[in-house]
Amino acid sequence: MNEKAPKIMMEVKNINLRFGGVVAIQGVSFDIHEGEIRAIIGPNGAGKSSMLNVINGFYHPQEGEIWFDGQKRPSMEPYEVAKTGIARTFQNIALFKGMTTIENVMTGRQLQMNKNIFWQMLRYGPAIEEEVQHRKRCEEIIDFLEINHIRKTPVGSLPYGLQKRVELARALAMEPNLLLLDEPMAGMNVEEKQDMSRFIVEVNEEFGTTIALIEHDMAVVMDLADRVVVLDYGKLLADGTPKEVQSNQAVIDAYLGVPH
Amino acid sequence: MTENSAILDTMPKLLARNVSKFGDSPAFREKDLGIWQTWTWKESSEEIQKLSKGLIKLGVQEGDHVAVIGRNRPSLYWSLLACQHIGAIPVPLYQDAVAEEMEYILSHCGASFAIVGDQEQVDKILEISDRLKGFKDIVFVDPKGLRKYDKEKLHSIADILEIGSGDSPELDKELKRRVEKVIGDTTCVLLYTSGTTGKSKGVVQTHRAIIGASGGANQHDSWTHDDYLLSYLPMAWVGDFMISVAQGMGAGACINCPEGPETMQVDLREIGPSIFFGPPPLWERLKTSVFIRIEDAAFFKKAAFNYFMAHAEKVGRDILEKRKVGLFDRMKYSLGNFLIYAPLKNMLGFSNVRIAYTAGDLISAELFDFYRSLGINLKQLYGQTEASVFLTMQGNDEVFSDTVGKPIEGVELKIASSGEILYKSVGSFKEYYKNPKATSETKDKDGWVATGDAGYIDEDTGQLRIIDRAKDVGKLKSGALFAPKYVENKLKFFPNILEAVLFGDKKEFCVAFLNIDMTAVGNWAEKNNISYSSYQELASNSEVSNILKEHVEEVNKALAKDPVMSGCQIRKFLVLHKELDPDDGEITRTRKVKRAFINEKYDDLVSALYSDNGSVDTKTEVTYEDGRKGYLEATLSIVDATIYQLQEAAE
Repeated sequence: MNEKAPKIMMEVKNINLRFGGVVAIQGVSFDIHEGEIRAIIGPNGAGKSSMLNVINGFYHPQEGEIWFDGQKRPSMEPYEVAKTGIARTFQNIALFKGMTTIENVMTGRQLQMNKNIFWQMLRYGPAIEEEVQHRKRCEEIIDFLEINHIRKTPVGSLPYGLQKRVELARALAMEPNLLLLDEPMAGMNVEEKQDMSRFIVEVNEEFGTTIALIEHDMAVVMDLADRVVVLDYGKLLADGTPKEVQSNQAVIDAYLGVPH
Repeated sequence: MTENSAILDTMPKLLARNVSKFGDSPAFREKDLGIWQTWTWKESSEEIQKLSKGLIKLGVQEGDHVAVIGRNRPSLYWSLLACQHIGAIPVPLYQDAVAEEMEYILSHCGASFAIVGDQEQVDKILEISDRLKGFKDIVFVDPKGLRKYDKEKLHSIADILEIGSGDSPELDKELKRRVEKVIGDTTCVLLYTSGTTGKSKGVVQTHRAIIGASGGANQHDSWTHDDYLLSYLPMAWVGDFMISVAQGMGAGACINCPEGPETMQVDLREIGPSIFFGPPPLWERLKTSVFIRIEDAAFFKKAAFNYFMAHAEKVGRDILEKRKVGLFDRMKYSLGNFLIYAPLKNMLGFSNVRIAYTAGDLISAELFDFYRSLGINLKQLYGQTEASVFLTMQGNDEVFSDTVGKPIEGVELKIASSGEILYKSVGSFKEYYKNPKATSETKDKDGWVATGDAGYIDEDTGQLRIIDRAKDVGKLKSGALFAPKYVENKLKFFPNILEAVLFGDKKEFCVAFLNIDMTAVGNWAEKNNISYSSYQELASNSEVSNILKEHVEEVNKALAKDPVMSGCQIRKFLVLHKELDPDDGEITRTRKVKRAFINEKYDDLVSALYSDNGSVDTKTEVTYEDGRKGYLEATLSIVDATIYQLQEAAE
């Protein structure tokens, strides 16, 4: 895989996250290399989504450090994290249901739009120029993800698989350095999964975007991911290439269950 | 045509004419990144010259066969034209063909280059390229997903254009030399037939034949450079080649390419073409979609639709064909136009349609009347690949649903004693590529070509009337005529029935296979709270077979009124457990039933229909989209339908 020493894009160190007495994440450390596809797997309630929420600033761990681009990151709010180039999608689709696909994707450009509200209200001059530029970029993403045919369809009326794709489009519209995908293939049929896998690989290869994803479908994870982190009951169970993880006894036990 | 066609007898000459006459008019449009991009004739010609030079540099020789595969887009149309400029022979292929099908055609014509749309096509060609003798390079249009491919034999069309745009007197000279060598008798295109009867054959067409036939058609319907059309039909189909390339070039009309197959409907609405060509299944699908939506509409809308559609049925055609209609009926039609017809046409994208064509298959009278009563000038034409399509066309004021028109200029027809239609035409093909036996079987030494269709000249209208494929027409044991397609089309008119296959030649009675239409039946199931997970499950639902039984009996009733066809009534039928699929070779890519193949493949089902069993177990091989194979197992129930007596006797 990576012959030369990989550059570490993000590192989480000894994260502890508690909600009252419930311990969600307990002393977890791992890193994400630049340009890789990093999978986070684990049984239900293992703390995978919490981990993503920690990375994108939605949760603030009681202990632990997050290093991003070689610097220790102070406690940040999600929108501040987004400005640093981290985009995400959600497990239970979080789109604006009444808006069309293109409108949803355009919201992904919000952070890059600089003209103030007055220019935008005028819809003239620099604001329009800016909008045209951003629209072009969004159209490229729409073309890339092959959702041209639903450009002007309200997303609420779209089938699940397509909504997931629109969500990915919105995240890509941010042109992120790090893309967090929370179960991008949940509830999809085989064909939709194939499509989605293809898009994830293409995003990774064509745009060079680093991707961290949570996924339950092991076949998909083993195919897509360069390295895998396994969590169980908030603890780090294993970390390595798909092959290593697959043959790890602790992982097999966690997934299949062992008599105590 | 007013221009001297003896001079304008090649595509390069037509292009030069268009540049000088209509230089700044739009020639090609494509929707890209959500916006319609336009190229004028001048700009298109520049692209074609650049591409031509780039291809020469790449090593394309005169006489080389170049495969062109992909969805309709200007760069691929330019590729066809560029090949014609440099004396190479373009071979358009169906983009949804699986690799093995492509292998057959590419090795048969010995293609040395391929110009393809995207990664999917590149993958297919790479898969088979080792087995293709003399195959050299691939040129692709869309670079998506191809970043990591080995680029030694793979070139981006952008690079080819770049090479062609460089200042090179040598290339200019070579291009000029090659263009001058292209004459009317040079091969213009090699088109493979859809192959209803086994392996497809390569039809060699010269520039003169293509331009002759399309010129006649243009003249017939007075195409001008103000016309514009949507090119969405497969580029490998002769119909698209004739319309988008030959007729478009001949008239200087503008070709509009949709973003992709899924957006065709939306793009059609945006473009609102002045000329539209659709095969019967498309007209059928559009009508089905209209009726499904009306089913879901509110009571008042539904009532208004039904009321005015009934009125349109009564007087719509008379108004379109400029016959006498009472003032009150005219006013009512205008009101209907304002409330229903015009919005409906707008929704379908037919607001500006001057002429709409249907061809390729027989079309049901009901379907035909539906569109004409709305004021859409839908006309039939008849032709085939071997004739550069156009044999007969209908004039604006002599349109009938059961005939296909009169021979156009340059075409002579004659009916053989066997009932088969023969023709002599400017558009007649030169030969079947590397198949002199088939050529001599089809075309006699005097130039008469056998169509393989049975038909006759209708005495009342003077127009040609097609019965069926000559070899499909048979006889029942009783001696009654067996014309399967006639009955199948009647069945397919019901929105619930997508496909039908009739059997009965040399048998006691007729039986049928049916395919349900997932859109229509699925909509019905949703309304009636019937859950299903797959086509197979829905198809085997007993209520669905009851509905189909009603349809079949209605057809039987209609057939009973026709003394010639009454023997074709369907006594038993079954609903197939899978949709007939071109990937399984059951229908052609243009959705024509491959009768012999189906007969053989479903031998067990046919014999079950002629037995006394109430159901049958079967196991069928299916091919998935990625080429893998699997098996479907099912138990199909056999439904009996009522047969009606010939009604003349009763009255």
